[in-house]
Amino acid sequence: MNNVEVLAVFVSLFVLFVGLGFWASRWRKGDLSDLGEWALAGRRLGSYLAWFLVGADLYTAYTFIAIPESLYVKGAVYFFAVPYVGMTFGVAMITMPRLWKMSRKYNYVTAVDMVKDRFNSRTLAMIIALTGIAAELPYIALQIYGMEAVLNVMIGQLVASNAASITEVSLIIAFIILAAFTFTSGLRGAVITAVMKDIIIFVTVIAVIVVVPMAIGGFGHAFASMPKLPTGSDSLAPLFLNGFISLSIMSALALYLYPHAINGVFSTSNTKKLRISTALLPLYGVGLALLALFGVLAYGAANALPLIHKYGALTTVPSLIYAYFPPWFVGFAFLGIFIGGLVPASIMAISQANLLTRNVIKPFVKNLNPKTEARMAKYFSVMFKFIALLFIFAIRPLYSLQLQLVGGIIILQTLPSVFLALYTNKLSKWAVGLGWLVGQLSALYLLVDANFIVTKGTSITTVFFKFNTPLSFFYTGAVGLFFNLLVVAVGTVIARAVHPQPAVATSD
Amino acid sequence: MTEGDSAGISLETKGTAGQKIIVAILLLIPLIVFSITPLYNHVKPELMGLPFFYWFETVWLVVSAIMFLGAALLLNKMEGSK
Repeated sequence: MNNVEVLAVFVSLFVLFVGLGFWASRWRKGDLSDLGEWALAGRRLGSYLAWFLVGADLYTAYTFIAIPESLYVKGAVYFFAVPYVGMTFGVAMITMPRLWKMSRKYNYVTAVDMVKDRFNSRTLAMIIALTGIAAELPYIALQIYGMEAVLNVMIGQLVASNAASITEVSLIIAFIILAAFTFTSGLRGAVITAVMKDIIIFVTVIAVIVVVPMAIGGFGHAFASMPKLPTGSDSLAPLFLNGFISLSIMSALALYLYPHAINGVFSTSNTKKLRISTALLPLYGVGLALLALFGVLAYGAANALPLIHKYGALTTVPSLIYAYFPPWFVGFAFLGIFIGGLVPASIMAISQANLLTRNVIKPFVKNLNPKTEARMAKYFSVMFKFIALLFIFAIRPLYSLQLQLVGGIIILQTLPSVFLALYTNKLSKWAVGLGWLVGQLSALYLLVDANFIVTKGTSITTVFFKFNTPLSFFYTGAVGLFFNLLVVAVGTVIARAVHPQPAVATSD
Repeated sequence: MTEGDSAGISLETKGTAGQKIIVAILLLIPLIVFSITPLYNHVKPELMGLPFFYWFETVWLVVSAIMFLGAALLLNKMEGSK
């Protein structure tokens, strides 16, 4: 393998990527010192671009790296990602057009603006904003792991020594460049580069799914070579049914609670385009399903296995590509996976910055002018990227997917305040606040219990697996949400008995 | 975007009861099918070497997209020309 050629193609395409990112600031020119222009690309995206943008939230390192890794190591339970993407857009079809309409009617830039209005509570709004910001951090960290996995293979194959430190320096450089163009172009940069990223990824997924099975003798051979994995190989081990169902349903409910997904929704130009692009998003999931299957394909791929053993299961997909394709294509595909982490990281940091400025800082600052607001958000987007980068140098989870699932537990507890509040203004803010607290604490308790008592801190796990209890093998996020909803329901009944009139600003 | 636009946005879903039922069915079927995992947790029949568990879910992504698209088109029609 000519590793210099791999690197040359990778670097050339990266330069093109950066150029596009900066050029985007001039695309459909708007006043980028306005927060709506910077963070929502002027709210003018049509069906195609909205499809790419929200698709970019889905086709991330979660898809290229974390799911194939988990399937390769643990087996069938991690195919839950397929029902998840099938269901999540159904959830979005129901909830998002309504949220979009409310956002235009009352001039909301974030979902938290709606929370503040619905409950007439700045404190609750602030709690929900901070929850969104916190939940994005492990998700961004996952993106960085994905990028690192690609660099590990590429640089590890290129140089004999110091591969680890070269990888770290490369990551930091990539992040500085990303921060610069996010700062300059905002969501426009992410949209334009998302199109480039997705074209590369589509080509890569199709090439791998055609070439590798032919080279190794089909999926039949891969499944035959697969060892008996803990959660099932050719189908799901019955013990993991609870886990599979709760992980898929909870992930489906969680995606559109994440600020970055809602950001994508708000940037579309009207509800009709929003509906069409959302309806077609499960097609994106077909790519995710194929990528998940690469975790199985690896077992039949004799040339890729030594690489996976050398660089770790995190590199399942990069190793497969490296082992079966010519150098130029490896460079092309690696760049796709690399920016497949960068672009979502950019979108996520923009949405965090948006929330922090608008819903946490603005309420405290009198007469914050729009220019200062936008400038603040730009600096915060830089800050959040580097917090996430620090995060990964500090924490090394055994399985990268668990990072996203921790984010899921946190964000799920905002479901009553966002999704339920879309349809009713009768909920008590005290009940919703208390439900949030009970949800977070019960999930946290189970998380600590599962990690420090059951696995003794050897890995992060988000599935609660104590035997002989009815809650066994459920995703802890599901348990947290259950207690959360219970408190919201009971609390609202009590609160309404005491104060029959709901004190809310909007009455739809 | 002007003030006039924002004031004119209605949050109510228009359309007949029949249309609403069709939309509900199109949106709910994929959610229900995916939720009932025992329905597709089998090895046979295989398709191109893939166990049923894997290919059934993948095919249902396409079926879901078609159903969601049907619901989206109907909802857009119900919403009218605005």
